[in-house]
Amino acid sequence: MRVLAVQQYFGLAAKAIRFIFARPFYIGDVIQQMDEIGVQSLGIVLLTGFFTGMVLALQTSVQMAQFGATMYIGRLVTASMIRELGPVLAAILVAGRVGSGIAAQIGSMRVTEQIDALNTLGVDPIKKLVTPRLVAALVMMPVLTILSDTVGIGGGNVIASVYVGIPTTLYWRTVWEQVASSGFVLHYIPTDFVQGLIKPFVFGGIIAITGCFFGINTKGGTEGVGHATTRTVVVASVLILVVDYFLTQVLLFLFG
Amino acid sequence: MTDAPDDTKGAPAPAASQEERRRDSDDGPRLRRAEDELRARFGEELREGEEAQERVGVSREAIVELQHVSLSFDRPILENVSLVARRGETVVIAGESGTGKSTILKLILRLLQPDSGRVLIDGEVINDVTYEEALVIRQKMGMVFQGAALFDSMSVFENVAFPLREHTQLSDEEIEARVREKLEFVDLEPDRVMEQLPAQLSGGMKKRVGIARGMAANPAIMLYDEPTSGLDPLTTGTITRLIIKLQRELKVTSVVVTHDIRSAFRMATRIALLAERKIVFSGSPEEMTASQDRYVQDFLGGV
Repeated sequence: MRVLAVQQYFGLAAKAIRFIFARPFYIGDVIQQMDEIGVQSLGIVLLTGFFTGMVLALQTSVQMAQFGATMYIGRLVTASMIRELGPVLAAILVAGRVGSGIAAQIGSMRVTEQIDALNTLGVDPIKKLVTPRLVAALVMMPVLTILSDTVGIGGGNVIASVYVGIPTTLYWRTVWEQVASSGFVLHYIPTDFVQGLIKPFVFGGIIAITGCFFGINTKGGTEGVGHATTRTVVVASVLILVVDYFLTQVLLFLFG
Repeated sequence: MTDAPDDTKGAPAPAASQEERRRDSDDGPRLRRAEDELRARFGEELREGEEAQERVGVSREAIVELQHVSLSFDRPILENVSLVARRGETVVIAGESGTGKSTILKLILRLLQPDSGRVLIDGEVINDVTYEEALVIRQKMGMVFQGAALFDSMSVFENVAFPLREHTQLSDEEIEARVREKLEFVDLEPDRVMEQLPAQLSGGMKKRVGIARGMAANPAIMLYDEPTSGLDPLTTGTITRLIIKLQRELKVTSVVVTHDIRSAFRMATRIALLAERKIVFSGSPEEMTASQDRYVQDFLGGV
């Protein structure tokens, strides 16, 4: 049964991806989902990003003070935010906020026969419901992550200048040193950015597909909708953390 | 992605065995009395049904056909069920709750595939068509769901326009004209309801919008799942009249699943009674009231 579910999960993902390139495109649905997934998650993602950057700066300042290397706070905050914390934290927040919403919405459509209605009206529910959410998540997750990274590094700047007394110009110079230190892809794109943007892209896919998968397979009325949302948040969060590890290994192997 | 069929909890004792039935049929006078009684009780509905049948002039050509269909999930749902709906006909599938009535509609729509037997739509066997082909075949049919199943994120207008936007090349003006026409057909005022969301509508209005959406693309076949369940008697009458109107004016073939035998008699050209996974009776409402079968008598007596 579990094996079958895994197979169905990947089957759903494959079909949803294939439909990205097939007419009709449901542009309206994509834009609406972009609003729900991206714009409405913005506040929470920025807030947590800012505090994460601040706490990173605070913790590293204590550690670095032991070696008299507090001027490198900017580098550490930047590396952590762009490579790990920005993508992972934003993804986990979005999994909780958006993944659960997707599962609840599609789940209640299932139990009120709206999915069957789509089918009987000759429309593939995967094309109409899953693909727009997938596209929206694939586009919006990297955008959210960039913004989260930026305010996070900004939060680090606040702590570095207020608590540690590092001038803002010096802080931002160390930030840039970090970004440039791991080299460039195609001469212009910092390798850190490539790593930091592949991750949210993948996580966005995980969130959308997981929410849709549990939503579509909802059974047992309104109670089932509750189960679907809970499962989505748990499974998506775990998947994000596990996939993050393996993805990091692959990316480090490719880009160093 | 398939739904389990209705569960059978609380389904009372099934049809009497063959032997018992035969014994009963010797019981002439009692049954004749019962028949007269039923005739008296359903006289009006029967007359209305006959009229309907005469007026449409049902053709001989089968448009929906089930041939010896069997289906089981964890337990058997349908066994050797055969059913024909001819062009222009209204076939009512009656039976107690949980006898697999709605499953038959899902088979016709090819939301489910039978374990054995064949399902034909318009002469085409749809058992083994691919999912994509099934989507195309379904465009010949309009389905009205028990809970209406309107898309709750869309307005009434968008709901009714949905099949038109999906499968036709109509312009926006043509779509609006068609939506208005369909809403008027189901006795709703287009200007009042078009911009409303399904959550703002009453149960009877939702059903009517559901019918309007089902018929929007002018399908040849209309399928109804318990169209009158959960409605007050007055609204039940309205919906029943609407189904009859659809059949008379637009000559669509209808397959109606219901346990409401009163409205069944009013709209049916033929009734199939489902019990214990099998069709135990099939015939005109007339023949049904005249039937000597004990289960049929019980079913009608239980009204």
